[in-house]
Amino acid sequence: MKKMIISVLGQDRPGIIAAVTHILFEQDCNIENVSQTILQNEFSGIFIVSVPEALSERDLHRHLDAGLSPMGLHVYEKGLSEINGSQTAVESEPFVVVTKGPDRKGLVASITAIMAAHRVNVTNLQAVFKGGDDPNANIMIYEVDIPSDANHQALRRDLREKAMALSLDISIQHKLIFEAINRV
Amino acid sequence: MFSDREILSVVEMLKNENLDVRTVTLGLNLLDCASDDVGRFRDNIYARITGAAKNLVKICDEVGDKYGIPVVNKRISVSPIAVAGAPFNARQMVKVAETLNEAAGAACVDFIGGFSALVEKGIARGDRALIEAMPEALTGTQRVCASVNVASTRAGINIDAVLLMGKTIKEAARLTADRDGLACAKLCVFANIPQDIPFMAGAYLGIGEADAVINVGVSGPGVVKKAIDRAVASNPDLNLGQISEIIKHTAYKVTRIGELIGREVAQRLGIKFGVVDLSLAPTPNVGDSVGEIFQSLGLASIGVPGSTVALALLNDAVKKGGAFASSKVGGLSGAFIPVSEDLNISQAAAQGHLSIEKLEAMTCVCSVGLDMVAIPGDTSEETLAAIIADEMAIGVINKKTTATRLIPVPGKKAGDHAFFGGLLGESIIMPVNNATGENRFLRRGGLIPSPIHSLVN
Repeated sequence: MKKMIISVLGQDRPGIIAAVTHILFEQDCNIENVSQTILQNEFSGIFIVSVPEALSERDLHRHLDAGLSPMGLHVYEKGLSEINGSQTAVESEPFVVVTKGPDRKGLVASITAIMAAHRVNVTNLQAVFKGGDDPNANIMIYEVDIPSDANHQALRRDLREKAMALSLDISIQHKLIFEAINRV
Repeated sequence: MFSDREILSVVEMLKNENLDVRTVTLGLNLLDCASDDVGRFRDNIYARITGAAKNLVKICDEVGDKYGIPVVNKRISVSPIAVAGAPFNARQMVKVAETLNEAAGAACVDFIGGFSALVEKGIARGDRALIEAMPEALTGTQRVCASVNVASTRAGINIDAVLLMGKTIKEAARLTADRDGLACAKLCVFANIPQDIPFMAGAYLGIGEADAVINVGVSGPGVVKKAIDRAVASNPDLNLGQISEIIKHTAYKVTRIGELIGREVAQRLGIKFGVVDLSLAPTPNVGDSVGEIFQSLGLASIGVPGSTVALALLNDAVKKGGAFASSKVGGLSGAFIPVSEDLNISQAAAQGHLSIEKLEAMTCVCSVGLDMVAIPGDTSEETLAAIIADEMAIGVINKKTTATRLIPVPGKKAGDHAFFGGLLGESIIMPVNNATGENRFLRRGGLIPSPIHSLVN
């Protein structure tokens, strides 16, 4: 068995997951992981599946596209490479970074550029920009892994300086705090 | 993965509401430092304290930095010195206090508690020496805190000890007359003192405790007040049952953080984690006040009719939320109402909303008691003892801790202002009503027997 990752994108409506998984079932694929979300009215789903050796990438795409394009859905798939151990085995601490402040273009790019420079990996990002200057209407929440050997003070300083330049209110908190408070 | 609401409510709590861990207190057993030679005893306790507490402040700060939540106070509590130093006389006890003060200074902690005696049933030689040493010891040191347990539900009330404390407090005030009787602010008289209080001035390490233990005091009156304010703003018709739930949830959150940080400090120090003390402990800062909560609850001020029941609601809800949040709860665990240490309570006293009588009533439903109450300097020893004895009776009969920290401010009268500085704050001097100066009832001395409900076996 080989593994593939499939992403499905399109306007949300009832029956999308049923349609995708029905096709996968017919092609004798086994679903290992699914994550899906809806942003505004748009559906996005990622499926990791194990695929029979006999089924080619092209054939799988043909089946999926035939079933899903009439529903206005776009499908993309690719073979899953073996995980490169050295990239994931970095020891890290989980943090949550929250910003609030007036909307403008380039907010996410500015903040994530600093994170990337410090080798910080974003594991989850929720961002809502309703526009305007109401800080509560323009929020970014990053769940990140900060490598243990990263320079925490420099990272915090860089993030705070950038936030100040963008008039953002920024908070950088260890994830355990949120777990302690929100999880029994 | 958390929902945005979960994350934003936590961020709000940390940012704007004075959430912190109020104190991490390292409890140290000094009993094996015992010696009949005071010099050797002092060397032993100095080495023990400075050795064990060497990294206390550093590690508390590191953990505070990691979580972005400061550990405001780092403190040390020790075995009752009246027991550990039982062979010594009063003069030697003063020297021991000086050593405690130096050791606390070397460890960079602001207070060290445990210059203490347990005399609820009788006063032993070491106890008497320690109490006799208190006025001078507390005058000559800055960091040492003292406490005396004069009553318990099991033993009754030792009125001889109460009378002795009346005299001791007067003498301590006299020796620090130039500082408004500051020595008395470091001296608590208790009924049913817990063995694991992390808060000063009542902290000491009980005889039943291990070699070393980390006890944590969480606070958060500001967080509770803001939570009530927010809830009432979004629903002005909240009833008291619903408000109680809100306080409970808030106390839960605050306590979880205290436990998380306390456990990590303990683990890094390699010392056993003891208890979380779930108390609302104010400081003399706006937004960090227990008194302000009364106003958020809808009362004009702490002290007006309705204050006792409001405090009962508050205290109970804090305990319920905290008890579920922590695996080990101990210490005082209740709301504090120290007059001079809480800006709002101090103002209520100045405006005449709060009297000693009302404070006493309120201590029936919260922890501690007549705490940081400045009274006229000419209050007699017997009147002081009588106020203490009344407070002890509340504790003994209700099977709870009560305490007094009374400051008869030398040369000042009711309505004057007393200033203690720092966390100890400032306050108007409250009148002691109907006191004749003598008290023939108390002067009889002896032991008031323990109440019938102490016979529980």
